[in-house]
Amino acid sequence: MSRTIPDFPAPRLHLAARIAAAVFGGYVFAWGVIAAGASLMFAAGMGFHDAEFLASLLGVLVFVAVFLWAFAARRLWVVWTVLAGGGALLAALGSFVQSLLV
Amino acid sequence: MMQSFRQAMAWLHTWFGLVLGFVLMAAFFFGALSVFDREIDRWAIPSTRFDPQPMPSYEKILRPAFERMQPLPATVDAMRPRVNGPMPERFDTVVSWSAYTTHRDPVLQLFAGYEVPNAKDPEEAIWAEATIDPRDGTPLPNDRLKVGSGFFYPMHYGLTLDWKNLGIWIVGFSALMMLVALVTGVVMHRRIFREFFTFRPGKGGLRSVLDLHNLTGVVALPFHFFFAFTGLLIFAATYYFPLGHTQLHDLHDLHAEVEARQTGLPHQRAGIPAGLANVDAMVAEAQRRWRANDKAGDVGFLVLQHVGDANGYVSVYRAGTDRIALVGDGIHFKASTGRLIREDPAPTATGRVAEFLTGLHLQHFRHWLLRGMYVLGGLLGAACIATGFLFFVEKRKRQHARQGQQGARVVDALAVTTVTGMVLAALGILVANRLLPEDLPARGDWERYAFWGTWLLALLHAAWRSAPVARGLANPAWREQCVAIAVLAPLAAVLNWITTGDHLLRTFGQGYWPVAGVDLALLVSGAVAALSARALKRRALAGPVASIAGAETGHA
Repeated sequence: MSRTIPDFPAPRLHLAARIAAAVFGGYVFAWGVIAAGASLMFAAGMGFHDAEFLASLLGVLVFVAVFLWAFAARRLWVVWTVLAGGGALLAALGSFVQSLLV
Repeated sequence: MMQSFRQAMAWLHTWFGLVLGFVLMAAFFFGALSVFDREIDRWAIPSTRFDPQPMPSYEKILRPAFERMQPLPATVDAMRPRVNGPMPERFDTVVSWSAYTTHRDPVLQLFAGYEVPNAKDPEEAIWAEATIDPRDGTPLPNDRLKVGSGFFYPMHYGLTLDWKNLGIWIVGFSALMMLVALVTGVVMHRRIFREFFTFRPGKGGLRSVLDLHNLTGVVALPFHFFFAFTGLLIFAATYYFPLGHTQLHDLHDLHAEVEARQTGLPHQRAGIPAGLANVDAMVAEAQRRWRANDKAGDVGFLVLQHVGDANGYVSVYRAGTDRIALVGDGIHFKASTGRLIREDPAPTATGRVAEFLTGLHLQHFRHWLLRGMYVLGGLLGAACIATGFLFFVEKRKRQHARQGQQGARVVDALAVTTVTGMVLAALGILVANRLLPEDLPARGDWERYAFWGTWLLALLHAAWRSAPVARGLANPAWREQCVAIAVLAPLAAVLNWITTGDHLLRTFGQGYWPVAGVDLALLVSGAVAALSARALKRRALAGPVASIAGAETGHA
């Protein structure tokens, strides 16, 4: 273990972008996971509230994981692309599944 | 970015833990108090100090009470912007009347929802609440603050910051960061199993603070993880990820329609007026059916849906006293005839998981030992966060003193405010609760002011006394606020005796645990604070030498 808590070596803007990626990117991604998960589980025959609960459970755990990853990953643009882009795609998938069912 | 994965995790743990630790302290401390929220309510509202009551008769007690209810003027005003045109004088179209009770409630909470003509969202109802004495139906004044369930409990999950649910979002984000801090904390400590058994109180300030931080974190790790996680899940679908009201609204409506068809429980009013059969007979029939299935039969939740309409139905749910689910085994009757519509089937596997996770967090079941363990777990969480603050300060204060920086001083003053100051604020509201005149208008508001005022004073005091930290010494506010707790806590118990006559010998003798327990907890807190004050004084006299010895120890 090192002797001191490492000061963040990156410039402040980079740090702010990383925190934003973890918080907001992570939220978008978790939302996408829940939207896609809930709609797919509903399509598979599960009750809406069961699907919503199970997807939320998954979404919260995914949020924790991607939050950590956003700080551990080397390249920030990859983090932003996966979280914002992936989250939007997953959310779109949720809406698409919904449009097929309603 | 960081030199290593472990350093990145350490950075996250330190800085997010520091900033949101202040919120988490409140969530853990007031969560621990909320475990006994109803007992604190009894202490704070002496007129409700009687035994828990079963769900009373609808025909004799509940119906007149429901019929008296109307939304408060403040609620009507708050609804106004979400309505096209003027608000009506009275709300007569009842969406639902309901009553909820547990094995710990002497008083009964009633809820009434009404349709709002011309509401922008036609699904939105306006709500009224009432509290009655279930023995005779006497309405209890609703402006008496239920300090436990009406103040400490909302503090626990939303800091009582109601504007745009801001507090709920702050606490939710902090809960997420609690999960992050637990994972990063484990990553930082490769030798976590060994540290579990490590506590070196004699090794000097820094080392023993860190040991205590690890010990309280690891020993209750499953508890901390479970409560932060399930806390998020309880609110996820309503607040944090409300997909059912937003993106997946259509899917939710589709489900509601299908469900209404399958269950025969109408989602909407028919628009045809209809009478109401004898509800007590329906409750008796529900209890008979539970008994036939070998289930104990206290009613926990009684709901009348679409009151006065041909689509109206009555749902009777069994209290969760003997199991983890809040309520369940619902049996539904047609309101106009009393005919059985449906008996809820056993919950699905997912439903059981949801009941288990949320029920274990909210714990409305009867298990006093586990209830006590919850308090212990909550306090361990608070101790874990508090020692985290102390470690942060102890590690930096001499370096900051050399460099003339104020960081450690500020964090230390805030730590005093969130540790001893928060206890003082809780005592402040209890003392005010016993001192304010019984018939003071808006008494509950004054009690809240006492809470926030005490906390503000604690902050000012901690800041005012913080100068020694900038020289690498301890803040005397720690000791002084411990002394204040040692005075205020027994004072609250004595005030309870003077104003109600219920001293400990009497409540013990009668076995009236709600009030005896709160008084006893007050005395124990006072004693612990007195011992802490004495230990801090001894350390202050011994000088800062002891803690410097530990300053060499490193920690990622």
